[in-house]
Amino acid sequence: MAHVSLEEWLARAEGNRRFRENVTALKHIPASPGSFAPFPGWVHPKLRAVMEKRGISRLYSHQARAVDLVRDGRDVVLVTPTASGKTLCYNLPVLQKILEEPETRALYLFPTKALAQDQMHEIHSLIGELKADIKTFTYDGDTPDDARQAIRKQGHVVVTNPDMLHAGILPHHTKWQKLFSNLRYVVVDELHVYRGVFGSHLTNVFRRLRRICRFYGQDPVFICCSATVANPKEHAENLLEKEVALIDESGAPRAEKTFILYNPPIVNRELGIRQSALTPARNIASELIGNRIQTIVFATSRLNVEVLTKYLKDTFREKIPSDDHFVSGYRGGYLPHLRRAIEKGLRERSIMGVVSTNALELGIDIGDLQACLIAGYPGSIASTWQQAGRAGRRAGHSLAILIARSNPMDQFIVENPDYFFTRSPEHCRVNPDNLLILLHHIKSAAFELPFEEGERFGREDLLELLAYLEEKGVLHRVDQRWHWAAESYPADEVSLRTVNPENVVVIDDTVAGSPKVIAEVDWDGAFTTVHEGAIYMVESQQYHVDRLDLERKKAYVKKVDVDYYTDAMTYTNVKVIDDFDKKMQGRTIVEHGEVQVARKVVGYKKIKFYTSENVGFGDVNLPEKDMHTTSYWFTLPWDLLDTLALRREEVIDGLLGLAYCIHHIAAMLVMADIRDIDRCIGDKSGEWFVRHGKGKRIITSQPGAPGPEVMTDAFDPTLFIFDAYPGGIGFSELLFERHDELMSAARRLIGACACDHGCPMCVGPVLEVGPAAKEASLRILDLMEGS
Amino acid sequence: MSLRDRLSRLTGEGTKTPAPGSRQETISELRQRVDALMTRREGISRGPVRSFGPAVPLEHLVTGEEVEMPQGRFFFSRSRLEGSHVHGLHRVCDLASLSMEAAGILAGSSELGGSNPTDALFLDTETTGLAGGTGTFPFLIGIGWFEHRDFITCQLFARDYSEEKAMLAFLGETAAEKRFLVTFNGRSFDVGLLAARFILNRIPDPLAAMPHLDLLHPSRRLVGHRLENSRLVTLEEFVLGLKREDDIPGQEIPQRYFDWLKRRDGRLLEGVFRHNRLDIVSMASLARHLADLLESPHGHPHAHESDLLSAARLLLDRGRTDQARLRLEALADSGDPDVALSALKSLSLIHKKAGQWDRAAGIWEAMVSRDPLDVFAVEELAKWCEHRSHAFGRAALLVERVLGECGTLASAEQQALAHRLERLLRKASLTGP
Ligand SMILES: [Zn+2]
Repeated sequence: MAHVSLEEWLARAEGNRRFRENVTALKHIPASPGSFAPFPGWVHPKLRAVMEKRGISRLYSHQARAVDLVRDGRDVVLVTPTASGKTLCYNLPVLQKILEEPETRALYLFPTKALAQDQMHEIHSLIGELKADIKTFTYDGDTPDDARQAIRKQGHVVVTNPDMLHAGILPHHTKWQKLFSNLRYVVVDELHVYRGVFGSHLTNVFRRLRRICRFYGQDPVFICCSATVANPKEHAENLLEKEVALIDESGAPRAEKTFILYNPPIVNRELGIRQSALTPARNIASELIGNRIQTIVFATSRLNVEVLTKYLKDTFREKIPSDDHFVSGYRGGYLPHLRRAIEKGLRERSIMGVVSTNALELGIDIGDLQACLIAGYPGSIASTWQQAGRAGRRAGHSLAILIARSNPMDQFIVENPDYFFTRSPEHCRVNPDNLLILLHHIKSAAFELPFEEGERFGREDLLELLAYLEEKGVLHRVDQRWHWAAESYPADEVSLRTVNPENVVVIDDTVAGSPKVIAEVDWDGAFTTVHEGAIYMVESQQYHVDRLDLERKKAYVKKVDVDYYTDAMTYTNVKVIDDFDKKMQGRTIVEHGEVQVARKVVGYKKIKFYTSENVGFGDVNLPEKDMHTTSYWFTLPWDLLDTLALRREEVIDGLLGLAYCIHHIAAMLVMADIRDIDRCIGDKSGEWFVRHGKGKRIITSQPGAPGPEVMTDAFDPTLFIFDAYPGGIGFSELLFERHDELMSAARRLIGACACDHGCPMCVGPVLEVGPAAKEASLRILDLMEGS
Repeated sequence: MSLRDRLSRLTGEGTKTPAPGSRQETISELRQRVDALMTRREGISRGPVRSFGPAVPLEHLVTGEEVEMPQGRFFFSRSRLEGSHVHGLHRVCDLASLSMEAAGILAGSSELGGSNPTDALFLDTETTGLAGGTGTFPFLIGIGWFEHRDFITCQLFARDYSEEKAMLAFLGETAAEKRFLVTFNGRSFDVGLLAARFILNRIPDPLAAMPHLDLLHPSRRLVGHRLENSRLVTLEEFVLGLKREDDIPGQEIPQRYFDWLKRRDGRLLEGVFRHNRLDIVSMASLARHLADLLESPHGHPHAHESDLLSAARLLLDRGRTDQARLRLEALADSGDPDVALSALKSLSLIHKKAGQWDRAAGIWEAMVSRDPLDVFAVEELAKWCEHRSHAFGRAALLVERVLGECGTLASAEQQALAHRLERLLRKASLTGP
C-alpha cells in the first residue's frame, strides 16, 4: 500500500468524523517569511566571515536588536520560539568582545547538563572556524579535578549551572579571580525554569554573583532567554533586580505547522472517565509512522514510555519483522551509548518513531521530525511548545497534537484553546526575600566576603538579619564588618532545587537479613505515602509499609500482593496571622497574607482496584506538621450562602469541589507543581475546619480526636490556597491579584465538563466530594459574582 | 510586625516551655528542623573548653607584643631556640646544616639548588576550619627560619578578624626576605588559603611564586611505608623521636578561636600557640631528617634501613643513579634480609640498564643460589641466558624448577614462564650436541 504524505494524512483526518469529534481546536499556523536586518557595522570581519560561511548573511530582526542592545551594555531578555537563532544573540556579542579584548570572560548558565553540553558544542564549532585562541569549558560536578585549574584561569567562556555557581564557584571566587576580574557577560538560558523555590534561590545567587563582581570591579551584562510566559520582562527584572529590555518579536521565518488539541472520548460519563491518552497516542502514532512520517511521542512518565514503545514495537513487528529499531524508546535511564545510537538513528531516519520522556525536550540534536504527539499536558504551555518544536524545526509542514488526560489542567488547556494559542496565562513568580531562603544566602554571601556597614542584600532589613546570625554564632562583627565565623561551608547546607533536602529512604525488608533500598520519598511526601499500613508501589510491585522511622528517616516495607491501594486521610487547618491586602470582589471578601498551617495525617482508606470501593480504614499516628507561609483566601458569609437554599452539607461539598478546581487552575497560573500549593476550607481563626471523615465531610473543631463530628454554622467558610513552602514563595499575591480570572476559569472548567455529578476533571472524584459538589460549586460561583 | 518577630515565628523561637503534646511543642519541633537545616554541619566538634574564673590576658601566657603596621595592629610572638636545644633526635644547631641539594631532590625542584638553609621560610597556619573556600580564616600564622646556630619561630596572631590585614602585610614583608617555603601539606592547604586571604585584603601574595618544599609527599614516600598515617604527630613519634605532652587535638582549634572572640581568655589559645610552634620546629627537624636519608649513605644513626632503601629509590627516580648505587650497595649487606634482597634487585636493574651484564648476572646468580624459587631472579637470569650467554639448557632448568615447585605464581606469570620454557627448550634442542 502506498504511503500518504503528512498533508494527505491531515486532510483525511480532518474529514474523519470520529477523529474530528475529539478535536477541540485545530490551528493552521501559516508559514511566515521572516524579517531581516544587516549585520551591525561593529561585527568583526572574521566573525562575519564565519557566519557567512554558515549561510548567515544577515540577521533576523530580533537578533539584530538583541546584539545592539547588548553591545550598548543593556541587560536583555529574549522571548522567541524554538529554532529562531537565539544562541547567536549571545554568542555574537560575547565572541566579538573577546576578539576585541582577549581578556574578556563570559559565564553561561543552563539549568541542565544536557543543555550545557549542547551549547558547548555549538560555541566550540564557532570558535574552531574562527581559528581564534578562545577557550570554552563546561564546569560542573563531572569536571575532573586536574582540569579545574586550567578552566579557572584560561576559560574565556565557562559553561555551568546555577547549582555549581552557588556551591562550587562563588565560595571559591578567589580561585576564579581571573574570571571575575574580567567578567563582562552572564548568559542565562531557560529563564522561565527559574521560578518558585528554584527562582527564589537563583535571585539570591545572582545577588551574590553581582556582589563578588563588584569586589573585582565588574558589572556584567546579563543576556537572558526565556520561553513564552505571561510576564517575561517582569520575571527577568525580579531575578536580576534591575531594568531589563524585552525582545519578544521574532524575525525568524516560520514553517507551516498544524497544531491540534485532542480530548479523548468519554467512556464513563457517571464517573467522568475519559479514554486514556495513551490509546489515541498509540493509534495516531501507528498511522503516522506506518506512512513513514517520522514521529516523536512524548509521554509523561517512564512507565508510559515503556508501555507505548512496546505497543508500537508490537504493531510494527508484524508489518516489518526485520527491523526492531524502526520504533524506539528514549528516556533518562538508558545508557549513554544507547541514547547516542537512538539520536543518530533519528537523524539518519533509520528510526521513524521514538517515544520519549521530556529527556529529549531540549538541547539534543535529533534532526527535523515531521510530527509530534504529546500524550498528556507536560505541565506548562511553555514546555508544550518546546516539545512541539521538536517537529519541523526548520522547514516543511509539521504537525503537533496535544492529547489531554483526565485531570483539570489538561482539560482546561484543551477546552480553552484561546489561552493556549494567544495569551499564555502562565506567570513566573519568585520570592527571593523568603526569610529562610534569604538567610541561607546571607550566610553564603558572608562566607564569600564579609558584609560591610551600608551594604544591601535583599529587601529586608539586612542589619537585623546580620544581628540575628551573629546571635546564632555563625557571624562575628568587628569594626562594622560581619565575618563568617563557623567551621562549616554554608553553600552545602542548601539545595537550590528542592524545598526540603531531607528524604526518607524506603527499605525492602522482605528477605530477612538483606535489606534493600528501593526508593526515596521526600520528607513531606513520606507522611502520606509511607505511613505505617500504607501500600507503596514501585514499578507495579506492591509493598506494605511495616514501620516508618521518622528520626532515622527510614521506612521499612515488605513485598505483598493485595487487591487494594491506600489513600491517606489528612486534615489541614489554616489560621490567619496577618493580612497584607484585602478587597471586595462581587460579594466576597478576598485577602492574602500570612497564615499558620497545621497538617496531620490521621488515617488512611483502603481502596479496591478497578471498582474503587472503600474496603477499610486504618489509623496513623504521626506528628502534626506546622508551618508559617503565605496564602490567598476568600470568605463567604453564611447569610449569603443561605440564600442558595442548599443543605449545609451540600454547601460544604460545593466549596470542597470549588477548592479542588481552583487549586489546579492556580497551579497552572503560577506554573507550579500541584504539590507546590495546597488548599483548605475552614475559618480564619483556624478553629473550625472541614475534615474528611469516614465517608463524609464534616466541620469540626476537634483535630485528630475521634470525638463528636459536629456540623456547625459558627463560622463563615473560607477557602484558602496557600504556598506549601515555609515563608511562602510569592504565589499568593499573584492569586490575590488574579482572583477574578481564577473564578471565571473555574466557572468555565466546571460548566463545560461533560460529567454528571463531578469528576476528577472538574470538582474532584464524586466519591470524595459528594454528588452535590458540581451543582453546588457552580451555584456558589454564581452567587459570588452576584448582581 | 518586626523582622525579628517574623523570624522567630518562622523558626518557632521565643515560645515558652511547651506543654507536652501542645501546638507549642510541635513548633519547637519545627524550629529544631529549621535549625538542623540551617546549621547542619556546624557544631560537630564543639568540645567544650572548660575555663573557670576570670579570663586571663593572652600576653600573660604567651610572650609577645602588639605590632603596629600602616594597615593596623596584630599580636606578635617571637622565640629563639638555642642551637644547643635538643628536639627529639636532633640538636637545633644541626638542623641548619640541611643539604640544599637533598632538599631540592625532596621538593622535586631544581629551584632550591642555589639557596641556603637560611633562605627557608617554614610556615604553618591555624585556621577556623578545614572546609576550604574564602570563608576559612587563618587566624594564627606560624613562621620559622634559621639564624646562625639557632632557630627562630614567629607567630602572627589576629586577635580579631580586623587584624588580618596587618598580619598578612607583615607576613608578606617577611616572606620577601626569604627565598623558599617549607610546609607540611601547605601545597594543598595553607598556601591556597593564604592566597585567598591576600586577594580578599587586596595585598600582593608573595608566597604563590616561591619555590616550595612540601614535606608531606616526601615523608609519605620515604617513611610512610612503616607508619599508620603520615600526620605530623605520627612522624614526630616514630621518626623524629618526639612525643608531645598535652597537645590539643587539631579539630578543637577552630572552636577555641570562636570562643576566644567572645571571651578573650588567653587560656583558650595558649595550647594553640604551643601546638603551632611545635609544628614549625618539627618541620625543620623533619626536613633535616629526610634530607639526611638522601644525603649520607648511613642516614641518621637512628634511620631505619627500609627508609634508606626508599631514599635510594627516590634518588634513582630523580636520575641520581650513582648516588643510588652507592646506597644500594651498602644496603645489600644489610642484616635485614628483605632490605638486602630489595636492594640487590634494584642494584641488578641498575647494572642491567647500564649494560654491565656480568655484574647484574652475578647478583641474579647469587639470588638464585640463595633461593632457587626467586621468580624475579630466575626470570632475569633466564633472559640473560637466552639472549646473552646462550646457556639455553641452564635457563630451561631454572625455569622448569620454578614452574614445578613454586605454588604462588599468578596465572599470567605462569603462562609467561611456560612460554619462555617452551622457547628455551626449542633453542636448546637446535643448538644442542
Ligand atoms: Zn467533571
